[in-house]
Amino acid sequence: MNEPLDHPKRRVDVNVRMVDGEVVVLDRQSDLIHQLNHTASYIWGRCDGQSTVAEIANQLAAAFQVDADTAVQDVATTIRQLHSIGLLESLRNLPEGP
Amino acid sequence: MSLMLDTLSLLVLGCHVRVQCQDAEIRALLVANYGHMQGSRGQATLQYTVARQARSGGFLVSRAGREPLSAADPGMLLFLFEKDMTVELEKLRPDLYFVHAAVLALEHAAVMLVGESGSGKSTTTWALLHHGCRYFSDELGPLDLQTGEVYPYPHALCLKDVPPGPYPLPKNTLYTARTLHIPTAALPSTVGEGPAPLAAIFFLQYRPEAAAPVVEPLSKAEAAARLFANALNPLAHAGDGLDGAIMVSARVASVKLFSADLMATCALVRATLKRLFWHEETKRCLQGQWPHP
Repeated sequence: MNEPLDHPKRRVDVNVRMVDGEVVVLDRQSDLIHQLNHTASYIWGRCDGQSTVAEIANQLAAAFQVDADTAVQDVATTIRQLHSIGLLESLRNLPEGP
Repeated sequence: MSLMLDTLSLLVLGCHVRVQCQDAEIRALLVANYGHMQGSRGQATLQYTVARQARSGGFLVSRAGREPLSAADPGMLLFLFEKDMTVELEKLRPDLYFVHAAVLALEHAAVMLVGESGSGKSTTTWALLHHGCRYFSDELGPLDLQTGEVYPYPHALCLKDVPPGPYPLPKNTLYTARTLHIPTAALPSTVGEGPAPLAAIFFLQYRPEAAAPVVEPLSKAEAAARLFANALNPLAHAGDGLDGAIMVSARVASVKLFSADLMATCALVRATLKRLFWHEETKRCLQGQWPHP
């Protein structure tokens, strides 16, 4: 079974705007507003529930011209942070299995 | 209960507020705080009664439609009255985007100081009034998103402590157990009488340990997030208020201000404003070129 952080999926029930390449997310559920920097915004945009962390890291490495190891680390750290602030679908939000 | 002695009529953001005061002392307290807003005696849109509580010596603030508020002392009375009135004003004027901010004007441009309680908004405002700025408010920035103009809310400037530096308090400062209130008539500057175009926002953070104040740039996205976090009635606006914050941050120059020594902070604010006023986006705001949302 896939863990949510293997195929991270951004929440769709939040209010999202792009401002000069940076994402602003309003989470009415927790009453918090978040501003993501360019890198985090890029990663957030690829958290579609289909792409793996490795795939997102490959895309990041190409887009930002960083080496693969750095990209994997950056993506993993960002995914953990996005998860910790509640912007990714978590286990409790996933549909229950059969 | 004794007879009501006097009625105080205020005109606040186009709303008529009538306050019936049980005695002259209560009225004097409210006049010291809202004297600049005294106005029309037309049909009241908001009506209050402020009376004394016989046993406790405290006060009772009553408004139709809610439980009376009990205040133990004059400081609490002003706090509760202010809080209730501003919440009601937000309901009466949902067209305005209310920001928890101090507002000043330099020449004909309005400037907001945005920050948490205790960040030094009022103290910085008090000091800046000695350096050519006009007073709009130290607490409330009602912004018209259609025009980009900020309206004055000139209640008495409210400080929590005696300010440091060469900015002594005037004689007629009102001292309560919790706060110091400087009536607008005692301010060293004039008071804004009408709306002014918003030209700049300073997001304020007090760093008493810092050797000197610092201004730092911030992205439009961060400015929008910070502005939204200080919006008081965001749900009255499109996109739960997020669109308004983004629109303002896209059009108005914003910086972070880490304040330190008060006089040096004022000098930095003035120098920053002079620089910002030459920016094309600021010029457009000042020329009234504020695109409709």
